[in-house]
Amino acid sequence: MMSEQNSWIIAWCNSISFLSEIPGWAHALLALISTYCLVIVPSGALMVYLDRKISADLQARVGPNRAGPAGILQPLADLLKLLQKEATKESSWRQNVWLSVHTMALYSTLAVMPLGSMALLVDTEMSAFIPFWSALVLALGTMLLGLSQDSVPGWFGGIRVAAQTLAGSFPALIALLCVGVRAGNFRWSILANCQDFSPWSWTFLSNPFQFIAFIVFVMSGLVLLAIPPLDGGVSMSDIHGGVSSHLFGRRLSLFRFGRFFGFFFWSIIAVVLFLGAWKLPLQVSEGLRAQEAFRFLATIELIWLLAKTFFLMLFITWVARVNPRSRVDQITDFAWKVLSPFSLAALVGASICAGWKAFL
Amino acid sequence: MRISVFSNIASYIRSVFRGAWSIAESCTTAFPYILRWGELRKEITEGYPDPVSSKTADDLPPRSRGLLFNDIDRCTGCKECEKICPAQCIRVEEEPGANNSKIWVSVYDVDFSRCIFCGLCVEVCQPASLVHTRQYEGAAYHLTDLIASFGRGQITAEQRASWAALRQMSESDEVTL
Repeated sequence: MMSEQNSWIIAWCNSISFLSEIPGWAHALLALISTYCLVIVPSGALMVYLDRKISADLQARVGPNRAGPAGILQPLADLLKLLQKEATKESSWRQNVWLSVHTMALYSTLAVMPLGSMALLVDTEMSAFIPFWSALVLALGTMLLGLSQDSVPGWFGGIRVAAQTLAGSFPALIALLCVGVRAGNFRWSILANCQDFSPWSWTFLSNPFQFIAFIVFVMSGLVLLAIPPLDGGVSMSDIHGGVSSHLFGRRLSLFRFGRFFGFFFWSIIAVVLFLGAWKLPLQVSEGLRAQEAFRFLATIELIWLLAKTFFLMLFITWVARVNPRSRVDQITDFAWKVLSPFSLAALVGASICAGWKAFL
Repeated sequence: MRISVFSNIASYIRSVFRGAWSIAESCTTAFPYILRWGELRKEITEGYPDPVSSKTADDLPPRSRGLLFNDIDRCTGCKECEKICPAQCIRVEEEPGANNSKIWVSVYDVDFSRCIFCGLCVEVCQPASLVHTRQYEGAAYHLTDLIASFGRGQITAEQRASWAALRQMSESDEVTL
């Protein structure tokens, strides 16, 4: 069983070829580290840069332009600056708990992220639910961070984060059920294989209820992980970061990276569930599979998946930049009173559609 | 009047769609900025310092207040500027000069790390020796580099003695005349 699950890694590592003699767990570790360093961190840098540049365009500003050509090295400069800062205050045990939980959520979620048909480490019948675990752990960590401050904003920030997470997770789960109803399973491979390259075969266009489910899924993810424009609990400009207001240096960079990572993996999952996953056109993947060019196939699939993910993230950024931020009580109100009923309606409709197809 | 369940649901759905519509409308406000239509073609923020913006010292408004400059030949050392400075950034020391009509301004320091460029010192300056230049790039790496010295420098004890003698002489001349 273990070796079967590791097969994609072994295929990957065999194509590197000088590492064929090492045990399976080392293969897995290497694959995770390389995914982290080659996919997640560069994506974070790229998205931070694009976010800053595009929001500068929307506000008739110039944006970062000093570090490198057109400011392309700005994320690196930011990181180096944050790493240089030294801690001045003793950290409490609560903050250490936050730190460990946050780090755990950041690194362990990689194993369950669907990054292509060749990169599915955990492909079980409930793997689509695992990201919720990660989102909840991230939110738990953020709440602990808020409670670790001995201040009113910190406590309120922690409670706000908890309220937002609870409000967002219900519609998100129901929307996920809608996809499961269509695909008949919660395996990443089956969820992806019920779609194809053409947008008309993607889940979110398969019927109106799936479209509603897609909108609900994305928006409830924004509520769940407190991503702009629905980041009333932790917004930077209005309440000075809320729970993160006392963080700086390395901890702040870790916190910011966690926020990006939540947004990123939620977008990836939305793309896999609703927007055609990593499906390539014209039987490219079958051809490459027949020629055993697994590494090339995995890379192409990853690039295509990431392109769609970035597109979705930039769309959300666009909406966030032109709309005013909502208060946290308005956000939870919205999640319970609008997203939840719509997700339930979508579930009922999607079930009827699935049943209709089964009888036809 | 009893409101039916259906009209409740209808108004709920209507308000949801109105919200979605308003979000879509506000999204369209971004197009002129992204596509650079009309007035929004150029960025309003100007690059500084690199590339240096289109504004040079000559483009500044006529009464803009840049770094201070004191023409020490015209300065009388009256210390009016030092007295009126709200930031207390001007330090003046003077001594009697070689003749009675001249004052030797030995120290005239302006600490630009404290200066707020209010222009009060320029207003009170009777001989109009203190002026604002149009120079505005005063950044430095050390605080001490921000102190501008316009004074003539300290005089030695011998100079002081000889000048005192000179003054004495001219005074006695006046008396004899």
